[in-house]
Amino acid sequence: MTKDKIKQIVLDIIAEIAPDEDLTDVKPEVRLRDQLDLDSMDFLDIVMELRKQHGIDVPEAEYRELESLDSCGNYLLPKFEASAAA
Amino acid sequence: MVENNTYDVAVIGAGLSGLSAALRLAMFGKKVLVLEKHYVVGGLNSFYAKGGKKFDVGLHALTNFPSEDSGKKSPLFKLCRQLRIPLDSLQLKEQSYSRISFPEKELRFSNNFPNFIEEVNEKFPASKDAFGKLLKKMEEFPAYSVDAPELSTREILKDSSIDPLLAEMLLCPTCYYGSARHDDIDFPTFVMLFDAIFRQGLARPEEGIRAILDPLCRKLKELGVERRMNTGVSKFHVHDDQIAEIELESGENVIAEQIISTCGVIETESLLSSHDNEDNQSKVGNFTILESISVMQGTPKELNWEETVVFFNDSEKFDYICPHNPVDLRSGVICIPENYHSTTDSSNFKLRITHPANFPFWSSLSKQQYRDEKEKYEDRILQNGLRYLNGGTDSMDEIADRIILRDTFTPKTIKRFTSHENGTLYGSPTKSRDGSTKYKNLFLAGTDQGYIGIVGSMLGGIAVANNQILRPA
Repeated sequence: MTKDKIKQIVLDIIAEIAPDEDLTDVKPEVRLRDQLDLDSMDFLDIVMELRKQHGIDVPEAEYRELESLDSCGNYLLPKFEASAAA
Repeated sequence: MVENNTYDVAVIGAGLSGLSAALRLAMFGKKVLVLEKHYVVGGLNSFYAKGGKKFDVGLHALTNFPSEDSGKKSPLFKLCRQLRIPLDSLQLKEQSYSRISFPEKELRFSNNFPNFIEEVNEKFPASKDAFGKLLKKMEEFPAYSVDAPELSTREILKDSSIDPLLAEMLLCPTCYYGSARHDDIDFPTFVMLFDAIFRQGLARPEEGIRAILDPLCRKLKELGVERRMNTGVSKFHVHDDQIAEIELESGENVIAEQIISTCGVIETESLLSSHDNEDNQSKVGNFTILESISVMQGTPKELNWEETVVFFNDSEKFDYICPHNPVDLRSGVICIPENYHSTTDSSNFKLRITHPANFPFWSSLSKQQYRDEKEKYEDRILQNGLRYLNGGTDSMDEIADRIILRDTFTPKTIKRFTSHENGTLYGSPTKSRDGSTKYKNLFLAGTDQGYIGIVGSMLGGIAVANNQILRPA
């Protein structure tokens, strides 16, 4: 698993839950909320899709670690690695 | 055998809130059972056929149209995302325009909020500043929060010093589209409905309510949700602080880890085995309606009836009450569904006229009396309603000749579709916004959560599923 793969996984999930958003120019370092119309319900869906599709748990206190694609990559990489090792 | 009757979540009621909650839960892997007393889905927003014509029960208008100004902020947009039903698939048709009609003044609105503000300022120039301040107050008020204070809108409008007639004219459509309170509306609901009707707007799915119900049911089926129709619940067996078992009217028992009940706060309480028969009458709402529908030959255009919805009142003061008479003809709502910008041509159209009505009267009649009274009121309601439509009173005979079919649903019908005590349209004046109850695995959704209308009830169901069940602890 790589950070880039994780960013793609997150983008794919966003495409699924918000099919009306244009994801072609999402800047990895900018907060997702600032470039896309996503609210807290959408973030809950990102978290739940991560759990459903990849078995990754994100506790509510750590939701803000998902604020940009870059932070998703950093935060989720160890979780993906741990789940692959398990 | 026991395993087959064991579920993660049981949802009581296949109305819009129940179906929406069930879909959210099933999307994320919960084993869900939906129990419905009636034989059709939709609850208050259901449908039926008579004389080869299709009728929607509740749907006058789908509010919250994502107009140019509101766009993705509209709750309708959010709920489509949450349920993964593309907004486009609803084929929403916008209203032409609608009208609030009082004796001295009328206010028109379409799905363009700046135009509505202009209209108010033009008709009530002396209230311009006060109305501006009121709008600001409404924007700053946390109406959508679960702990929004349930202040009296009448009091707030009085304090705002807008023209008292303007206050009554704003109360009329908002109360009709969702107040459970006697002659008032709580301020959070007022703000939500004001936004839903004026800031966003009115539209209708081309195919009516089935455009929403069909994809919901299809998705539930695909996800393996079990739905049992004609299946009433007779008792919730309480053990300590939770519901251990659900007893069905058939005598069968079902076990669910969590329960979402959409049948109303009082109705849910009365199912509890620990129910202590306390006097709950104060908590039961009593506002309900009678609606008379005429299917007419031709098009509304031929009669120069252009409005989609008309909210009318025959005096300067709007009374929003359960009437002593069988029907309160002093005010009401007219809807002409064909005046949404539909693309299909039809050789006939519907005129729906709704009035406040008295539940005890309509529910106490014998079969024959019920039929007779319905017929009597159909004539009165039509004659009365035509006064509020262009040239209506002059062409009474011509209009009567156009009628192909008439049907009326009464408070008794609403009780049958919703199981609400008193056939109440908007449930109990006491609301549980977050859906919690004193039992740790029992939650309320739907009307008595206080989120009103099609969009509100669906979002309410979604919120209970998300916040009470799906959100990881």
